[in-house]
Amino acid sequence: MVSRVLVVAALALVVVLPGCPGRKKAPGAAGQGAGLEERGIDTAGSLERFKAGEKLSGDSGPLKDVHFAFDSYELDEEARAILRENANWLQDNSREKVEIEGHCDERGTVEYNLALGAKRARAVKDYLVSLGIAADRMTTISYGEELPLCTEHTEECWAKNRRAHFVLLGD
Amino acid sequence: MKAVGKWWFVAGTILFLAQDLGAQVRGTIFGPGSRSYPIAVSPLRNLSDGAVGRELGTRFADILERDLVISGYFRLIDRSAHIEQPDTSGTEAENINFDSWAVLGALGLVKGTFRLEGDIVTVEAKLFDVAQRRQLVGRRYRGPVDLVRRMAHRFADETILQFTGERGPFDSRIAFVSNRDGRFKEVYTMSLDGGDLQQVTKAQSITVSPSWSPDVRYLLYTSYKKGNPDLFLLDTLSGRELVLSGRSGLNLGGRFSPDGSTIAMTLEEGANSEIVLLDRSGDLIQKLTDHWAIDVSPSWSPDGRQIAFCSNRSGTPQIYVMNADGTGVRRITYEGDYNTAPAWSPKGDRIAFVRRYEGGFNIFTMRPDGSDVKQLTQAAGNNEDPSWSPDGRYILFSSNRSGRKKLYVMDAAGINQVQLTHGGGDDTSPAWSRWLD
Repeated sequence: MVSRVLVVAALALVVVLPGCPGRKKAPGAAGQGAGLEERGIDTAGSLERFKAGEKLSGDSGPLKDVHFAFDSYELDEEARAILRENANWLQDNSREKVEIEGHCDERGTVEYNLALGAKRARAVKDYLVSLGIAADRMTTISYGEELPLCTEHTEECWAKNRRAHFVLLGD
Repeated sequence: MKAVGKWWFVAGTILFLAQDLGAQVRGTIFGPGSRSYPIAVSPLRNLSDGAVGRELGTRFADILERDLVISGYFRLIDRSAHIEQPDTSGTEAENINFDSWAVLGALGLVKGTFRLEGDIVTVEAKLFDVAQRRQLVGRRYRGPVDLVRRMAHRFADETILQFTGERGPFDSRIAFVSNRDGRFKEVYTMSLDGGDLQQVTKAQSITVSPSWSPDVRYLLYTSYKKGNPDLFLLDTLSGRELVLSGRSGLNLGGRFSPDGSTIAMTLEEGANSEIVLLDRSGDLIQKLTDHWAIDVSPSWSPDGRQIAFCSNRSGTPQIYVMNADGTGVRRITYEGDYNTAPAWSPKGDRIAFVRRYEGGFNIFTMRPDGSDVKQLTQAAGNNEDPSWSPDGRYILFSSNRSGRKKLYVMDAAGINQVQLTHGGGDDTSPAWSRWLD
C-alpha cells in the first residue's frame, strides 16, 4: 500500500512517503508558496506496520483514535465527540474508505481481548453509521492486545492501548 | 519446516521386562507437592564398545531427575553423594549394594544400562525398592539416539505410575506462543522439561491460541498471516499447513472435541463473537451460542458432552457451561468481575480458569457446577492461560512473576510451582498435549 498526501488549498501534489506520517510545512511557506499545507496520510494498518518493523501510529492522520475503559466497548462523551469530527471528515472526503481497528491493553485473556477489540471496532462503526456514514465504507478488524502502541506496564500506557484506530484504505 | 514425526514411533519398540511388581507400593498417601519420597537416579552404565556416546547415560539420568523434581513427588538424592558408580557396579537386584543407597536415605533407586550401536540406542532402566532390595519395574527402550530424551520421559511416567498408581504426564508435548526470536509471535513445541524445542510456524505475523488434536499430530492456531485472523491446521508430521476457517473476522481458538471429530471455535458474526462447531474440513456444523455478547474460549469436557466457555452476557466476563449442542447454558462463576479462559480437566472433575482479583490475574479451579473454588496462584505477578496435563494432576500456565511472561507448571493444588522457560521474549498460551502414544 502506498502512502498518499492530502492536498489542501486546491493544489494537486503527489508525494510518496512510505511509513512516514506527520506534518511539515511545504518549502517556501513564508514566500510565494504560502498557503500550502502538506502532511502524510497513514494508509498502513497496524499489522502492516508491525510486520515491517515500524512504530505503530496513533493519531497521525485526519481521523483520531478513540479510547475506552478497561473491559468496555462503550463510547463515552469524549469518544463520541471525536467520532463526530471523524464523521465530518468522512463526509467531506466521501470517496475514502476506512478500516477501524479495535485494540485492548495487555491485561486479561488473549482470546477475550480479541473478541473485545472486535466489539470496540464495531461500536465505533455503528456510531459512525448512526451519523450518516455508509456502512460499506467501513471495515473492522480486531487485534486484541497483540499490537500495543505503548509497552510499559502502567495505567497511562494501558489507556493509550485501549483504542479504536482508523486506517484510510483509499477509494 | 521440520517434521516432528520422530515422536511417534518409539512406542512400538518398547519391551516389557517386568510387570506389576510394584503393586504393594501403590496407594501410598502423598501428594505431588509433598516432595517427600527420597529417590536416587544413577547414570546409566555404558555397555557400548569404547567410549562412544558416553554422555547418553548421564543425559538420561538428568532428564529423568528433572521430570521427577517437576512431578513434586520426589526428593532427589544428590548425585555427587552417590557411593556406587555406574561403570563399576551392578544393575540387577542381586548385585546392587543396596546398603550404600540406604545410608544416603534413598528409598527408591533407578539404575540401568545403555548400548549404542550406530545411531540406535538400547536403554534398559529399572526402578528398585531399596529397603526391600527388589526390582519394582524395568523397561527396555530401543530407537534412534535422539529419542533418549523421550525414553527418559517415559520412564519418569512409569516411575510415577509405580508410586502413585497413575501414569505421569511427561511423555507429551507442549505447544506455546513466543516472540523469543524477534518481534513475531510464532508457535513452538517442546517437552515439558524444555527439551526438543521446535519452531513450528514461520508466519512472520501474529499467531495465537495453539491447541493439539487428541492424537497429538495436528495443531490448530489462529494467525494473521494472511491479514485476517484465520484458523490454521498444521500437520506436524508432514509440515503441511492449511486454512481451516478463513471466514471474515475472528476465527479464533479452535479446540478439537475429545474424539477428534469436530472443532469448537469462536467465529465473528457482525463483529459479535459466537462459538460454533466445525467439522474437520472446516465446514460449519452448527452455531452453539447465539447472543449479542462476547462468547469465546470453548473447552470440552473429557466425555465430549459439555463445553465450558467465557461470555460477558451478564455485563462482565464469566464462565458458563453448555451442552455440546448449545442447549442448557448455565453460568457457573458469580464471584468477581473477570473470569475467563476455562480449561476442563481431562479427569472431568475440575475446571481451571483465570480470575481478576485485587487488580491481578490468577489461576483458580472449581467443580464443573461452580462450587468449591480454589485459588492456585497468588502474590506473584499475573498468572494466566491454564492448560491441564494429560493425567489431570498438573496445570501449565504463563506468568510474568519474574518480568517477561514465561511458562510455569504446578500441581492441581497450586503447590510446587516450577518455571519451565527462560531467556528473552514472552512465552504464552501453553497447550499441553495428551500422551504421545
